[in-house]
Parts: sequence; structure tokens; C-alpha cells
Amino acid sequence: MNRISRITLILALILTSCMKWEYGLEEEFDISASGEGLFICNEGNFQYGNATLSYYDPETKTVQNEVFYRANAMKLGDVCQSMIIRDGIGWVVVNNSHVVFAIDINTFKEVGRITNLTSPRYIHFISDEKAYITQIWDNRIFIVNPKRYEITGYIDIPNMTMESGSTEQMVQYGKYVYVNCWSYQNRILKIDSETDQVVDELVVGIQPTSLVMDCNNKLWTVTDGGYEGSPYGHEAPSLYRINIDDDKFEIEKQFKFDFGDWPSEVQLNGTKDKIYWLNDDVWEMDVTADRVPVRPFLPYDNTLYYGLTVCPRTGDVYIADAIDYVQQGMVYRYSKDRELIDSFYVGIIPGAFCWK
Amino acid sequence: MKRLLLILLLFAPLVTIAQDDTRNWATRGIRVGEVAVYGNRPMKDIGIQETKFDTIALKENIALSMADVLTFNSAIFVKNYGRATLSTVAFRGTSPSHTQVSWNGMKINNPMLGMTDFSMIPSYFIDDASLLHGTSSVNETGGGLGGAVKLSTKPAQANGFGLQYIQGIGSFKTFDEFLRLTYGNDHWQVSTRAVYSSSPNDFKYRNHDKKMNIYDEEMNIIDQYYPIERNRSGAYKDLHILQEIYYNTGKGDRIGLNAWYINSNRELAMLTVDHGDETDFDNRQREQTFRSVVSWDHLRDGWKMGAKAGYIYTWMAYDYKRDLGNGVMAHMTRSRSRINTFYGQVDGEYSINDKWLFTANISLHQHIVESEDKNIIRQDGNKAIVGYKKGRPELSTSLSAKWRPIDRLGLSVVIREEMFGKEWTPIIPAFFIDGVISKRGNIVAKASVSRNYRFPTLNDLYFLPGGNPDLRKESGWTYDTGLSFAVGRENIYSLSGSANWFESFIKDWIIWLPTTKGFFSPENIKDVHAYGVELKADLNLQLAKEWRLGLNGTFSWTPSINEGEPRTPADKSVGKQLPYVPELSSTVTGRLTWRKWSFLYKWCYYSERYTMSSNDISLTGKLPSYFMSNISLERVFNMKWVDLSLKGTVNNLFNEEYLSVLSRPMPGINFEVFIGITPKFKTK
Repeated sequence: MNRISRITLILALILTSCMKWEYGLEEEFDISASGEGLFICNEGNFQYGNATLSYYDPETKTVQNEVFYRANAMKLGDVCQSMIIRDGIGWVVVNNSHVVFAIDINTFKEVGRITNLTSPRYIHFISDEKAYITQIWDNRIFIVNPKRYEITGYIDIPNMTMESGSTEQMVQYGKYVYVNCWSYQNRILKIDSETDQVVDELVVGIQPTSLVMDCNNKLWTVTDGGYEGSPYGHEAPSLYRINIDDDKFEIEKQFKFDFGDWPSEVQLNGTKDKIYWLNDDVWEMDVTADRVPVRPFLPYDNTLYYGLTVCPRTGDVYIADAIDYVQQGMVYRYSKDRELIDSFYVGIIPGAFCWK
Repeated sequence: MKRLLLILLLFAPLVTIAQDDTRNWATRGIRVGEVAVYGNRPMKDIGIQETKFDTIALKENIALSMADVLTFNSAIFVKNYGRATLSTVAFRGTSPSHTQVSWNGMKINNPMLGMTDFSMIPSYFIDDASLLHGTSSVNETGGGLGGAVKLSTKPAQANGFGLQYIQGIGSFKTFDEFLRLTYGNDHWQVSTRAVYSSSPNDFKYRNHDKKMNIYDEEMNIIDQYYPIERNRSGAYKDLHILQEIYYNTGKGDRIGLNAWYINSNRELAMLTVDHGDETDFDNRQREQTFRSVVSWDHLRDGWKMGAKAGYIYTWMAYDYKRDLGNGVMAHMTRSRSRINTFYGQVDGEYSINDKWLFTANISLHQHIVESEDKNIIRQDGNKAIVGYKKGRPELSTSLSAKWRPIDRLGLSVVIREEMFGKEWTPIIPAFFIDGVISKRGNIVAKASVSRNYRFPTLNDLYFLPGGNPDLRKESGWTYDTGLSFAVGRENIYSLSGSANWFESFIKDWIIWLPTTKGFFSPENIKDVHAYGVELKADLNLQLAKEWRLGLNGTFSWTPSINEGEPRTPADKSVGKQLPYVPELSSTVTGRLTWRKWSFLYKWCYYSERYTMSSNDISLTGKLPSYFMSNISLERVFNMKWVDLSLKGTVNNLFNEEYLSVLSRPMPGINFEVFIGITPKFKTK
């Protein structure tokens, strides 16, 4: 090869070899042999489409990251918001991708998807053939048929505009589904799942962020109180215990926080007799308590707690640290005796958990 | 050996030669002119690191924005979110808001966001463009922790009436049109320019991020495939009109008026990971901006002064709608912002003799901003708007003394001070020195050092929700040193180049982060050490009679390292390269002309960009290095009554499937042809 040919070849390589938008490779997973397991929804950065799903085996203390991508050779999407499991199928809600993926929880392979949602946040099953999907920036809850992956209808939310629409987490008691309304809202809705109509609502404080039901069939929600300068208002946040027995729908107890506090992520243990939440520190309280404990379950330790869950079997507490929101977050696992058992890196902005 | 040298120069950087001629380069051809001699360098340029763009780069074709020009002709990083979509630039590993941008002296950074969208600046509207790297920006403005981009227009130098019309037709039903009318005589120069660009922009690409499912009747997936999709929701229509009027007394005074109107309507393209139906969503950004500057320049022996007054009005609308299923498109988000900026500036220069030059400058920008981000229903049932209304004056003043005690040595001191709102910066000093090491080869050594500050933007301080009025201003020290040379023989060759080392330390870097409340909020969180090397070279050769070759190259190595404290015990970002900042970037442009034919090859390169601050590379967050090649071929026809030009361009020559930013599709190979018509009117 003469000199000119060599130079031409080198030039051609430099000028043409360029970045490749890679295809993924499908990996085979089978975690059916493992007992309990924890899925971690990593939101990723808004508008960058780098949400991921992680899977942690508490028995072996091993974590597998990006399992959706690795199993399916495609991306999960933009802002992974939440996940639930029903009959061996995981339903992963990806907010800004307008999609809910259904995956086999042992192989992580996709089995179907519900698309064209407005901005989905959470999914709740009424039956095998009917589920609700809440939305932000929409004043409707979508009714879907999970078997056909179809949108079948809508629940119109009264006194809510599209632009400030926000429905969030759902809890069912009998035929009624309760939903907290968060962004620029202050209500818990009561929906009749037979008629798909909002039948009642309860005003709580500004922006209730989460909703659970304890062993005594009491609802718990915590408000964030809005923010400084908000035309909707800014107040001290509160934790609420809500009585829904005997067709009642009323605040039973309000636990007020200091003005400027940012409580979030109300969770229950497996027996549903203790609630947990984040407020800089991690807090734990009996569901029958009359006041918030003086000391936290885990004090703030320069860690930016972003997500929280409690193992339903062991009571271990898992806390997600989003760090600077542009690197892999860390999940810390503590025993119910506050001993650090394990810590592991997951994806960007770990925000929600789901127990297998 | 000569060939090898030529090839090596392909990878070396380039300096462009400033040209006054506003005709496109194919019409005029490449000049192989005299080499600039040190002693002729203006006093104002002592010690500064400046990259000038000539008309060859600026007037290449009417479809180009300044983002395209910077991508292929400089080593600064252009973050391109897609075709005809937001494009921001960043010097030396800093952020887009660390780049100060001026148009005819008036700052045009968006006061709410701090940055400038270079995709909204047609390069055909800019007659003079230069980059002031690092410390050198202090000569012009404060706040340019990375540097500054100076854009300006110039009188057309017309003699009588002139008209130029160019029509471009390209792939994806892209239409670009340019019209310029000029009139000039000894005193008056009048010019009207208009550019209109439109395209559905629905280029095809194979989506590697997404698969489509094929179901059986029982809704079991029986097959999946990567779809070939069109760029969804990416249409644009951009109109720009620029009116200029200059009056020159011929006795040292010139009065000018520049007015630029923009009307842009752009859809925001859907992400590659979006599973929504494009017909059900409308995601659109509209902008109307009017910028105007009136200027007066007064030149006398040994001194000159100038005054400018300007006004900017910007209206921006962002609408995100979805179909409710009945054909009614309901707003999910409806945000509006209005910005009024009033501008005034006075500057003067006084030269005692050929050894001393003093300059003084004072400028004021008064911003009045109204931001409406969301309509809500309050608890009492009344409507309300989430937003803010704020005003802020931004005063900047500077004094400088430039001294050239001997022919081979120049020294310059600049003192700048700024006031944003009621807060003053401390004195911002900058010191520059340059000296001729060897007259043979015009080898000049330069060095400079400066302090600098950047105030938070209005959104940083007041945006609802999340604005943080307690933010501190960012501050930095920058050091520059470098060598440049220029050699050549008239009408045979000219070769020039430079190599610079820089170092910047930026404290209190402002970054928007999510909060547990579901919105983002800015914080002063990072200390950044950016350093590196910038190389430039430019070669012009007269290969043979009627054969001319021009080669330009740039190269940058810009580590930009987070040197702050770990944010939490698990933080792995300390000591790592900032995300989305390439460490290496390079450009090469080659131009070959023969008679009335001209061929252009453009190439650019960015090294891998990390998407995580920890520099971990994940399967879903990978942005490998980026090469891109464009070519064009032009033929000019000179006839009695008219000059015609015919040009064809090919972009993404090797039809690469690539991403510049995660989840933002980019077009494959695409084409555009341009026909230019310049009638010849009788002149006096």
C-alpha cells in the first residue's frame, strides 16, 4: 500500500467511523427461584429518557440494574413513576413516556403495554379486566382493560381543570377507591368502582402527597404544604389519619409539622400497624399513636432521602438517596432495629419501590 | 512530504481571516492574502484570545443558524437537541449561561434563562462574529465565565440599488428563502433582509430506544421490532426580518439603526421513548422577538466615542395540549412570558500616542419580565396564575489602559464592575500581556488573567415553583496563555495558528435539581475546575492557476472537573468530568475552488459525553463520540444582467444513525439545493 493509499485509509476511518446509536442485547433472566425481591423504579432525568428498573434480592444482597433494558433491548422511557404487581405481572408506570408496561416479574420481559396516556402516575386494579390509572395535567382518571391493554373510559374529576389536574395514589376499601389529589389540590376523592363516579371528597391540607390504609382500615396521607409564593397557598404540612369506616369519610386526627418542613412518602410495614415517612429524617409511628415521636427512626445523615419502603416480611427499612440527581442513586437497607444491613447503587433518582 | 503536511493540517485547528466582503465565498473565492504583522495589530487586541468567523463561514448557505456555524467552525460545544430545536453553546466545559452573547453591542441572553438559543439566529443575518475566550470576554462584558460571543451587522457598502434572492429546497419538505434589498450612496446605506424557513421536519429514523409489539388475538406478544419512525411533532416555521439604516456624514460621524424581528413557531419533537400518539398531543413553542439598536459613532484623530440605545421585546408561549377524544385540544400546560429590555451604552477611546490607549464603557440593561407558567384554581375557587413579575437593572462599567512600550510588547489592564439589581460585584480585574517572540513567523506569546462573576438569572431567583432568592452569584478566576504564529507569501500560501492553555476555577456553580416536592430548584452546589488546550490553524494555498485550497481546523481538550464537596456520603461525582460536557472536540473545514466551482467539506467531532456526574456509563445513558460530515458544491454563473449561483449540500454524508442528546432523534443523510439570484442594477 503506498503512502497516499494509507493516508486515504486513515482519513476515511477518522471521517467515517462515528458514534453509533446502539441496539441493546436481550439478556435472559429467571429469578423465579428467589423468594421476595424488591423492584426499584429509577425516575431518570426528565426529558432525557433514562429511567431504569432495578431488582434487588434481599436474601443474597445482590442488585441487578437496568433490568428492563437488558431483558427487552429497549428503553424503559422518561420518568419511571411507580410499579405494582398483580398475578405475576409487574405494571410499570412511565410518566412522560405516556405508557404503562406490563412485565413478567421473573424474566423482566415485556408482556404488553397500555399507551397514549396523558401523564400517568399510578395504576390500581379493580379486577382482572379493569384498572384505574391516575394522571397529572389531566382532570380524568383513565379506566383501562389490562387484559386488552386498552383505554376503555374515564372518570371525570369534578372541580378540577385539565391544566392543574392531579390524581395520585389509590387505596381500595370495599367497592370504594380513595385517591389523593396532589399538585395545586387539597382533596382525597372517594370513587365508586362500580359506577366509576366520584361520590365524595374530603378536604385536607395543601397538596397531599401519598395515601395508604393501615390495619384498622384508616387512611393516612401527608401534605407537603405547598411552597413559598404559591398562589394556592403555603402552610405547615400535616399528617392525617382518616376514618372511612361505616360510610364515614372524615379526618380523625391531624398531626401538624413545622412550617417549612417537607414530609413525604408515607409507607406502612407488613402488618400495617406502623407508618413511616420522610421529613429530612426517617420517621416511624404506631398507627394508633396520638402524637408524632420526639426522635426519628433514622436521623438525617447528610443523605437526601428521596424514596422509602418497608419490607412487608422482615420490617427492614429501605431508603433511597438520589445524591445529586444525575448519578446512580444509593439505596440503604436498615433492619427494624436501625442497623445498616446493606447499601447498593441503583439508577438515577430512585423514587419508588415495589415488593415482589 | 508536502502531502503529509497537508493531511496533518487537517487535524490541526484554524484561524479564519476576517473579511469585509458580504458576498458568499464561492462568488468571491478564497483569498490568499498577506500575513498580518504583529506591529499592525490593534491595541485593543493586546493579549486577547479571539476567534473570528469570516463570511465564508457565515454566508455558506441560508439554511444555517449560528449554531451550525459554531458547530463546524469552532471547538466550543454546541448542545443540539435536534434539527431546528434548541441549541446552546458552552465554552471550555462551562454551561450555556456562562456564555455571554451580544448583538451590535446589546446583550441578547435571555434574562430569565441566562442562555441564548443559537438555532434562532440565522447566520445570514450576521456580518461579523467572533468568540472571546475566557478572560478576553472581560473586555466586552462581565458574566462570561466561559467566554463571549459577539455578533454584529455591518453596512452593506452598496452603491445604488441591490437585490439578492436565494431559494433553498431540501429534504423533509424544507423550504428556505432569503431576500436582501440594499441601497447605498456616499452617505446612506440601507438594507432589508428576510429569511423564512419552514419544514414539517418529519425525517425518518430507526428508533433504537423503542420496540413495537405484534400481538395475537389473545394479546400475547408474538413479535417485536425496532420501528422506523418519523420525527414526530417537529415542524417549524421561522421568519426573520432585519432592517438596517446607516448614515455616514463623511466627517467622522455615523448613525445607525438595526431592527430585527423574529416570528417563530416550532413544535417540540417527541422523545424517542414517547409512546403517545402524535395526533393526540400538540407540544409547541412560539416566539416573537423584536430587537433594535440605534447607534452613534463619532471618530476623531486620537479619540472616538459612541453611544447606543436599544430595546428588546420578547413574547414566548409554550403550549402542551392533548386531544380529549372528541377533537377538543385541552391545555395541559399553557405558559407565557413577556420580556421588555431597555438598553443604553456609552463608550469612548482615547489614544495619547501610539503607545497608550485608554477605553471606557458603561452599559445598562433594564429587564422587565412577566412569567406566567400555569393557570390554577385556588382553594377558594377563584382562578390564579402561577408566575412572577420582576424587573432588574444590570449595569456594567469598565475602564482599560493599553500600553505598548515597545513594538514587541503589549500590556493591558481592564477594570470592570457590575451591578445587578441592588447588588454590586467586587472589582473585576483583568490583565493581558503579549509579546513578539520572533518577528520571523510572527510568533506572538500571550497571557491573561481575570476575575469574573455571574449573577443568577431571574428564573433562578424567582421562578415559581422553585426559584431561590438566596442564591449567591457564581465567581471564577481564569488564566490564559498561548502562542500564535502567521507565515505566508502573498498569492502562494498563508498559514496561521495558535495554541492556548487555559485554566478556570468557578465557585458556587448554580444547578437546578429536583426536590422531594416534585419540582426543580436551583442551588449553588459545585466548584468546578476547567482547564485545557485550544488549538487553531488556518491554511490557504494557491495550488495552481485557478485552484485554491483553504483548510481550517480547531481542536479543544477541555476537562471540566467537579471539585466540590461530596453532596452525600455516596456521591461519586467529585473529581469527575461534568455531565454532557465533551472532553475533546474538533472541527475541520476544507474548501477547494476552481474557476467558478467550489467544493466544501465540513467535519466536526465531539468525544463521548457522560450523562451521569459520576461518569459511570450505563446501557441507557450512553452518548458515544460524535462525528459528522457535510459537503456542498457550488457553481456560479456570471451573466450580463444577473449573477446566478447553484449550490447543493449534503448533510450527514455517511447517513449515520446517532444521537447528540439522549432520546432526541437526529436526521440521517439529507439534501438541500439553493438557487441564488443577484440582478445587476446600474450603479452611479
